[in-house]
Amino acid sequence: MTREAAESIEDAVKSIIIAELRVDHSQLGPTTHLMKDLGADSLDALNIALRLEERFRIKIPDDAIPRFLTVGDIVNGVNEHLSAQ
Amino acid sequence: MRRVAVTGIGIIAATGVGRERVWEALTAGRSGISRIEDFDTSNLKTNIAGVCRDFRPEEFFDERELTRLDRVSQLSIAATCMATREAGLTNGQLDSYEAGVYLGTGFGGQSSIEEFCGAFFSNGKGRRSAIAIPKSMYNASSSNIAIRFKTRGPNITFTTACSSGANAIGQAFHLIRYGHAERMIAGGVDAPITPVVMEAWKEMRVLSTKNEPPERACKPFSANRDGFVLAEGAGIVVLEDLETAKNRGARIYAEVLGYGSTADASHITFPDPEGEAHAITRALKDAGVDAKEIDYINAHGTATKLNDASETEAIKRVFGSRAYEVPINSIKSMIGHSMGAAGAIEFIATVLALDSQTIPPTINFEEPDPQCDLDYVTEGARELGRSTPMKVAISNSFGFGGNNAVLVVRAGVQ
Repeated sequence: MTREAAESIEDAVKSIIIAELRVDHSQLGPTTHLMKDLGADSLDALNIALRLEERFRIKIPDDAIPRFLTVGDIVNGVNEHLSAQ
Repeated sequence: MRRVAVTGIGIIAATGVGRERVWEALTAGRSGISRIEDFDTSNLKTNIAGVCRDFRPEEFFDERELTRLDRVSQLSIAATCMATREAGLTNGQLDSYEAGVYLGTGFGGQSSIEEFCGAFFSNGKGRRSAIAIPKSMYNASSSNIAIRFKTRGPNITFTTACSSGANAIGQAFHLIRYGHAERMIAGGVDAPITPVVMEAWKEMRVLSTKNEPPERACKPFSANRDGFVLAEGAGIVVLEDLETAKNRGARIYAEVLGYGSTADASHITFPDPEGEAHAITRALKDAGVDAKEIDYINAHGTATKLNDASETEAIKRVFGSRAYEVPINSIKSMIGHSMGAAGAIEFIATVLALDSQTIPPTINFEEPDPQCDLDYVTEGARELGRSTPMKVAISNSFGFGGNNAVLVVRAGVQ
């Protein structure tokens, strides 16, 4: 994967989080925790997973969602799904 | 047996937000019915409704909350904010197993379920949501009120169509009266002005099609009435054990005296004056007052051919020749029919009528109907003189399904 492609995945993940949680871009770093830092709950996580599935045309398995805890986790997870396809 | 007081009022209707604005409009005989602007109505025969245009959800919720709450929950919470503030209750006083929420709704989170159905039937084109269920379930509003205000006691949603709000208040009244709760947030809410619901009512041919001008459409008890006008809104009251309310120095608007509930058990939509009359007599018996003590009737008064004739007949069966002497009004003439909220909003109007000794008019009465020949206060708001004060009133609510609920209220505290 090129550096540009990796950056665009990270940007897309961030914009989904920003839209779903109504947070500011400056609040998001790789270790930002969705629940502890941004006040998200499990329903937010489900909606974020839905948007990721739509955006990247992937299928996120049920057991992957609880592991999406930080922005970095999600970016890595999406990368894994994309490279597995 | 405890006595039960009304100590707080929260209301959102087509005529405005808050007790003062709504009451000012109602007593001025001003309609809140307007053209529907939020979706295409070109295929509908009716393009008007009682939209709560002055309700600004962003004044009550942040952006994130707005995405999580259907409009029906937004209306419920906002009206509860007003009612609890007016009652002078802090969250500390509500954070108790002795405080609960009884709420009526006919449609629940209808917009959210329609949004989800739209996505479901669009072959993957629509925007799906993981929170369609918690937004649209019927008990979302009452649960969201509990979450917001920390009321930990009984939390139940009543759905009896157009009498939902009245049944919720009646049941909450009994809960306090018989010692199962000290304080209840009770009322009704609905936000049914959606493309699907409008279409479904159109097929039933019960909506007024007198679109021009919108404010003249709803004509309860008038011979040329042609149906109801759909509306949205919320009516919430704080009910309290009277002694507790007095001890904390709360303003007491009125005392709830009685509640009667019956089922017509005859037809799913065709009203039966017998079931309605029995709801009134049961409410009077529950209140321990005689029919001749009733000074005012807040009617269900939908402006359908069937309801208004049936309700008039029910009133005659209970009140006999005195039916002609008791003033009766329908505030639906001004705010439309807000379904599950209607019974609660009309209960509040009954309380405010007693409190201000003023009966709002039934507007748009144009042609006498031989089947509807009572005193419907059609000449404008009626202020009662000091020599003949209104003391006790009833509010009628009759829902599809034949679900009838009647509440009896007394002014102030005797």
